[in-house]
Amino acid sequence: MKVDLDRIVESFPGLVATMSLPGELDYLNQAVLDFFGKTAAELRSWAESDVIHPDDLPRVVSEFREAIAAGSPYTSAAHRCRRADGVYRWFQTRALPMRDADARIIGWSILLTEIDDLKRTEDALRASERSLRLIIDSIPTLAWSSRPDGSVEFFNQHYLDYVGLPAEQVLGFGWRTAFHPDDLERIADGWERIRASAQAGEHEGRLRRHDGEYRWFLFRLNPFRDESGNLVKWYGTSTDIDARRRAEDELRRSEAFLAEGQRLSSIGTFYWRRDTDEITFSEELYRILDWNRDLRVTRERAFQRILPRVHPEDLRLLSDGMARSLGTGGDQDLEIRLLDPDGSLKYLHILSRESRDLDGGIEQIGAVQDVTARRTSEEALGRARSELAHVVSAMSLGVLTASIAHEINQPLAGIVTNASTCLRMLAADPPDLAGARETARRTIRDGNRASDVIARLRALFSRKEPTSDPVDMNDATREVIALSSRELQRNRVILQSDLASDLPIVSGDRVQLQQVILNLVRNASEAMAAVEDRPRQLLIRTEREDVDRVRVSVRDAGVGVARESMSKLFDAFYTTKSGGMGIGLSVSRSIVERHGGRLWAETNEGPGATFAFSIPAMRTL
Amino acid sequence: MIGMRPLVSVVDDDESVRESLPDLLRQFGFAVQAFASAEAFLASEALGDTRCLILDVAMPGMSGPELQLELTRRWQTIPIVFITAQGDETIRRRLLAHGAVECLFKPFSETELLDALGVALR
Repeated sequence: MKVDLDRIVESFPGLVATMSLPGELDYLNQAVLDFFGKTAAELRSWAESDVIHPDDLPRVVSEFREAIAAGSPYTSAAHRCRRADGVYRWFQTRALPMRDADARIIGWSILLTEIDDLKRTEDALRASERSLRLIIDSIPTLAWSSRPDGSVEFFNQHYLDYVGLPAEQVLGFGWRTAFHPDDLERIADGWERIRASAQAGEHEGRLRRHDGEYRWFLFRLNPFRDESGNLVKWYGTSTDIDARRRAEDELRRSEAFLAEGQRLSSIGTFYWRRDTDEITFSEELYRILDWNRDLRVTRERAFQRILPRVHPEDLRLLSDGMARSLGTGGDQDLEIRLLDPDGSLKYLHILSRESRDLDGGIEQIGAVQDVTARRTSEEALGRARSELAHVVSAMSLGVLTASIAHEINQPLAGIVTNASTCLRMLAADPPDLAGARETARRTIRDGNRASDVIARLRALFSRKEPTSDPVDMNDATREVIALSSRELQRNRVILQSDLASDLPIVSGDRVQLQQVILNLVRNASEAMAAVEDRPRQLLIRTEREDVDRVRVSVRDAGVGVARESMSKLFDAFYTTKSGGMGIGLSVSRSIVERHGGRLWAETNEGPGATFAFSIPAMRTL
Repeated sequence: MIGMRPLVSVVDDDESVRESLPDLLRQFGFAVQAFASAEAFLASEALGDTRCLILDVAMPGMSGPELQLELTRRWQTIPIVFITAQGDETIRRRLLAHGAVECLFKPFSETELLDALGVALR
């Protein structure tokens, strides 16, 4: 079918024109004439008329002239054309050079496309973008977006203000410049990890503020996908978490500090919430109890694993302590021994307090100190001390014995020698009677001399009269208790005292009387050394006796005294103790008797014995 | 000089020993001289003639062991029988180790004394 080109152009649904080489419009299709409502002649002088909006005209003219001069295709920017009704509509003009067979330009074909609706949508979009941009720039957070490769394409104004750097310096991969050099590698790794996952993620690092201060930030990233599901962008926010981070650091430091302190002082702590049986051990407590860290602490486990290791002698102490604690909710302070798997003993000092937490639940907080080293050295010291005391007393006794022996042996030597001589003189032939008489006389003299020595010794030991000062026996007893409490505790003796408040003052030698009490307390403690099946209880009591006497008694729960041994107890060298000298009781009795009192022993109703003495009160003037 | 009987010297600060022991020794047949101190013995002429010295350990002034040391220093090799009222085995062992013939604990018997003298004068 032969097509009529003129008819096609004429009916083309667009505004079409041609232009001759000198720049004159020659052909204009009907659509052009209709749109503008002008004649072809009027339109040919478009450059001098108002068919193009005066604001756009100079630009369109100059651009068009340039294109014609260059002979290159021309696409105009959007410009407004005046419709027949006087309303300007947005157009885009395109012009292509027309060439002859020799490719010389012989004219231009021109197409005017109305883009008014598109242009308005674009403007609206741009306005909306501006408004969004304003929002993004104003929200009080640091926001940004990056391309899939990790280069940043946008920072909000707040971000730029915060880092105090121009956009061009931080865009792309320039964002690194605002981070702490020490964190760069980690931040890059974090960013890389999140990008690889293609999922939302977060990481932390220090960002430099405009004033040079580095602060900790949390970076949150969200991937943005297009409709086909391709990841096209990352949107991110950076949140200042410096305060939180510093608090965390502070907490970590303080925890490390505490742990170090616990390690150095061998103190472990525990927390036990009674209603939930939630138990927490500190690091050091795991070590003290040889508890495998991976094994969660429960009440059952704690009982199963720790109780069998408690020294049998301390089980009662521990259970009493726990019972007391459960009953009263008060503070606990006890010392127990644990048997280590290797057979050695571990001494633990346990302090605990029960209280209510914020929810009203009962919680017990405690500290456990490993005092093994201290106790071991104390025990060694105690042993050394008692050995030393024994050596000293044995030595002084030895010295005493030697001096007595020397004093006695001298005259004895004379006696034996004289007697020998005497016998020889009598046996001689003839007997030397005069000599024998002389040696016999000397024997008698030396015998008397020996007896004098004994008398002198007695005088020496009884010469010192006790001092006579007013003595408060309660005070004196308290001092003895204070003096011996460590030793008693070491021997696991539970000491109780019952001191009468109406005790009269006595007259005597305070130190000597205290020696008597101390001696009775030590005897009682030693009498209970082998007792394992009952508490080693020791009761010291002071009381008024018959109005004007003071009685001090020491009751033990020890092995007791057989009735037939009672009378021998106070003999100087009688002892029921395997290692003792047994001289204490006879000395004690002589001291008490010098104070005008008496010392006696009686067997208890239950186990053990009671030793008591009573002395007269000071006569009031 | 007191005839041919060997001289035994007794040095002891205790008077009853100085009285009784010489009489017994004379009964044994010895010549005897008694001194109240080590110094007195060292100063006497008996020093050179003494065949056996019966010496107390503990004395005021020079003690028995000190006298023993002094005699050794003077090349006087007199056999010594110590006597002591301090029945101490460690002292006895030390004295024997330093060359004493015997160390008798007071009171000693006639037999012990005779045995010691027998060894000293062998």
